[in-house]
Amino acid sequence: MRIDITGLTKRYRGGVAALDGLDLTVPTGMFGLLGANGAGKTTLMRILAGLLHPTAGEVRVGGHDVTTRAGRRAVQRTLGYLPQDVGVYPDLTAREFLDYVALLKGLDDGPSRRRRVGELLEVVGLTSEAGRRLKGYSGGMRRRVGIAQALLADPRLLIVDEPTAGLDPEERIRFRTLLAQLAGDRTVLLSTHIVDDVAQTCRELAVLSAGRQVFRGTVAELTREADGHVWSVVTQGPAPAGTVVSAVPEESGMRYRVVAADRPGADAEPLRPTLEDGYLALNLRTRPAAPAR
Amino acid sequence: MTAALRYECRMMLRKRSMWIALGLITLLLAGSSAAQWRDLFHDGDARRVMGSVALLLNIFLPAGYGCLIADRLVRDDRLGVAPVLDATPASPAGRLAGKYLGVCAAVVLPMALLYFGWAVPYAAVTGGWPAVGWALAGFATVLLPAVLVVGAFALAVPLLIPAPLFRVLFVGYWFWGNSITADVMPTLAQSVLTPIGAYPLALFGVEGVIAGPQPGATLNFLRPEVTTATAGLSIGLLLVLAALTLCAAHAVRARTTR
Repeated sequence: MRIDITGLTKRYRGGVAALDGLDLTVPTGMFGLLGANGAGKTTLMRILAGLLHPTAGEVRVGGHDVTTRAGRRAVQRTLGYLPQDVGVYPDLTAREFLDYVALLKGLDDGPSRRRRVGELLEVVGLTSEAGRRLKGYSGGMRRRVGIAQALLADPRLLIVDEPTAGLDPEERIRFRTLLAQLAGDRTVLLSTHIVDDVAQTCRELAVLSAGRQVFRGTVAELTREADGHVWSVVTQGPAPAGTVVSAVPEESGMRYRVVAADRPGADAEPLRPTLEDGYLALNLRTRPAAPAR
Repeated sequence: MTAALRYECRMMLRKRSMWIALGLITLLLAGSSAAQWRDLFHDGDARRVMGSVALLLNIFLPAGYGCLIADRLVRDDRLGVAPVLDATPASPAGRLAGKYLGVCAAVVLPMALLYFGWAVPYAAVTGGWPAVGWALAGFATVLLPAVLVVGAFALAVPLLIPAPLFRVLFVGYWFWGNSITADVMPTLAQSVLTPIGAYPLALFGVEGVIAGPQPGATLNFLRPEVTTATAGLSIGLLLVLAALTLCAAHAVRARTTR
């Protein structure tokens, strides 16, 4: 299911532009969406899920125009959506909550709906807790319920906003693997701050900044943005110039991994870049200059 | 709509505060009007008795229910459930209607238990079969419309003002709009818009119920003479008011979520 976005603009009251003439094409398969806070990722996802009306522009999902009611409804029939701060009803059990959402998604046949709910509880590892009220669940367990509800109607389009936030490392790996397996002939749009999740699951991605697309390409291409800009510096003094990716204390001082436009020091050693380095290098290049003081 | 009805009703029935409030109000009613309950139980006029019981329940219970229902719609946003539900293909209007009917069904159930729990022994001992018929009529014309109006307001108004403020204002409104005599100050009491059901209650012959034109009162155009037709008009107007309130809630919600 292909997504075509042309000139998409969303202005909130007060004139703040969350999306500013965004052009983006998302093909079938797993697609990553990166960007700093306020870049417009969540607004884009809410528009795709039919929760927000764009101010201007065109959005087509599988040929349906989501700016119309009929188009929105058609997309929602094939949509699985996991919002960033997914909530649940504390007075229902996990099984009841999933059953409720399944009914709203049009899974009317009782036996097959109950079977599907049972399968997904198994997938997210909550079968033994399924009869317990959700008010007793931890944040991670509620997140897993949120993941299960997104998968209920066997969606052709899966929109997941920060899906692994709040999950422990093992759950995180399990869930991102599940997403990658689901991709196949579906479209999975993964928005996250965790660059590693994109590196491990997506072939293609886009980076948003201030409501615009600043990069669209493969993971390898974004990684290459940092070619020749990643350095390892060991120093006992202040951190070197550039964006510090990591700092590890050693006997001889602090070892910094730095993304910088120029070699930060004579003894700086070049390193092979990762996707995170590429993302930071792109940010260095595209970030609006700070106003002069 | 049926999914929302089913699960909203279930969640409301699981709300412990509803049963605690019901217990307290029942104790209050039983304690403060013990002699009245006893006299009613031995009164052979089944029509008047079932109207009186409906009035006693309608004085306090809907006010409590309004307070309990006040968080039902706004909590979807507070809990973060709204985006999940809004992203489904289910119609928002249908979901709102289901939520409304679900919470109303949940609060009507204990009210019905109390009302018919009293009516059945009364019918067996004093009133006979006619008491059952009058009980059904009282339930349908007095108790049910009150809950339907209260439910609509309690779902809708907290979209505009905080739920705790709504609760305070609502309790004030309930006693101002139902219990104040119309010649004391401008009020909707004793009018066709009185949710406590003054017009149908007057037809039941309940003592102390005032409805119809009041000398010297303002808003007397809302107080026609009590007849079967004006009682029906009162019920109809209250139901229309509830429907309009729900339509407004739907419009407000659609505007704020877009």
